[in-house]
Amino acid sequence: MVNPGEKVKVRVKINGVEYEENVSPRKLLVHFLRDLGFTGTKVGCDTSTCGACTVLLNGKSVKSCTVLAVQADGKEIITIEGIGDGKLHPLQEAFSDNFALQCGFCTPGMIMQAYSLLKENPTPSDEEIKDGMHGNICRCTGYQNIVKAIKEASKVRP
Amino acid sequence: MYPSEFGYFKPSTLKEALDFLEKEDARPLAGGQSLIPMLKLRVISSKFLVDLNGLSSLSYVKDEGDKVRIGSMTKHADLVKGNVKESIPLLYDAARQVGDFQVRNMGTIGGSISNADPAADYPSVLTALDAKVILDSNHAKREVDAKDFFKGPFNPDIRKGEIVSEVVFPKLSGYTTKYVKVVRRAGDYAMVSLAMALKVKDGKVEDLRLAYSGVSDTPYRAREAEKLLVGKEISEENVREVAEMASSAVNPPSDVRGSSWYRREVMKVITMKALGGQP
Repeated sequence: MVNPGEKVKVRVKINGVEYEENVSPRKLLVHFLRDLGFTGTKVGCDTSTCGACTVLLNGKSVKSCTVLAVQADGKEIITIEGIGDGKLHPLQEAFSDNFALQCGFCTPGMIMQAYSLLKENPTPSDEEIKDGMHGNICRCTGYQNIVKAIKEASKVRP
Repeated sequence: MYPSEFGYFKPSTLKEALDFLEKEDARPLAGGQSLIPMLKLRVISSKFLVDLNGLSSLSYVKDEGDKVRIGSMTKHADLVKGNVKESIPLLYDAARQVGDFQVRNMGTIGGSISNADPAADYPSVLTALDAKVILDSNHAKREVDAKDFFKGPFNPDIRKGEIVSEVVFPKLSGYTTKYVKVVRRAGDYAMVSLAMALKVKDGKVEDLRLAYSGVSDTPYRAREAEKLLVGKEISEENVREVAEMASSAVNPPSDVRGSSWYRREVMKVITMKALGGQP
């Protein structure tokens, strides 16, 4: 138990590497990640609407602006920096090949959600992609190419 | 946005959680998908958060034949993947429409109903199915009918020192159920939603339940309108009558999601559609 104003120890594994930090309980997971240098994860709306802060927590996609860093204690996190293994992940390739991004701000969240979706459903239909991705907002592309890219990536499973 | 400072306690047993909640100015943290945004917006504050996520004993779906017991920390995503599709199809249909994919990976059934948002999905489902909410404190266990649990907007019947530990759904047999949700945008709260359960025997309606979210301070069960169809065959005219009666008995709120008038029209249309009449 920690009192208001005190810090709490958080131990997590991020993209396979262990980190231990003392944080205030009110610190959000997205700020925790960004302060450690994982700035691929974006703060978009900060109201759990846009999905730009999506990361995987113990294999499940979550909006890291709506999770406390302390809730991640003892868990594994995967961010956009952790999916490529030194080269671009097939999803990243497909987003690039299909012009599925313009300004790119929503892209890390889009890709992390798509990553999570394909883990659960490796061969989604267009409808299933739209349903699985509706927690992520893009203000540039109009979504068509995002759906196309995810469909394409689903055919080139790593 | 940062919430104001709070302390944090993660109990490993339900008793520890209840002891702490009884003594301190503290709120339980379940999935946090409504609580954390409200703390960030500083609409609410609390000296402590009691994180219930260490209590794996509160996450389960138990089928007992005539009823299904669901632990309060069961996530929406578990309800979508689990076995409630067969046993409580209405709950399954609602669970897969809560928030979005990411929200369903964190949010819980107990957390959602404890928030008692009048536009949320589960309250109307619980009301349509006559579910019971089980509350635990260190002194007693309490069982509250869904119709009494939702006392007002964001005002559930939860006393100091209590948490929702379980929701019990009676299993319906021979019913057709539908959850119809109308949203302005994917992932939004319902402008209006309808949880319907219908039992037809020999061409005649034996039982009908209609419960709506988004049209009132609390989930609205259209009991008078339900009775209109009992003992009758479903026809276009009587379905229209039911829809008219259900929608004229409430005065829905006007807000960014829709005006009061529009909500009532939507209520009518989805009622007629759900019952198989033309809108």
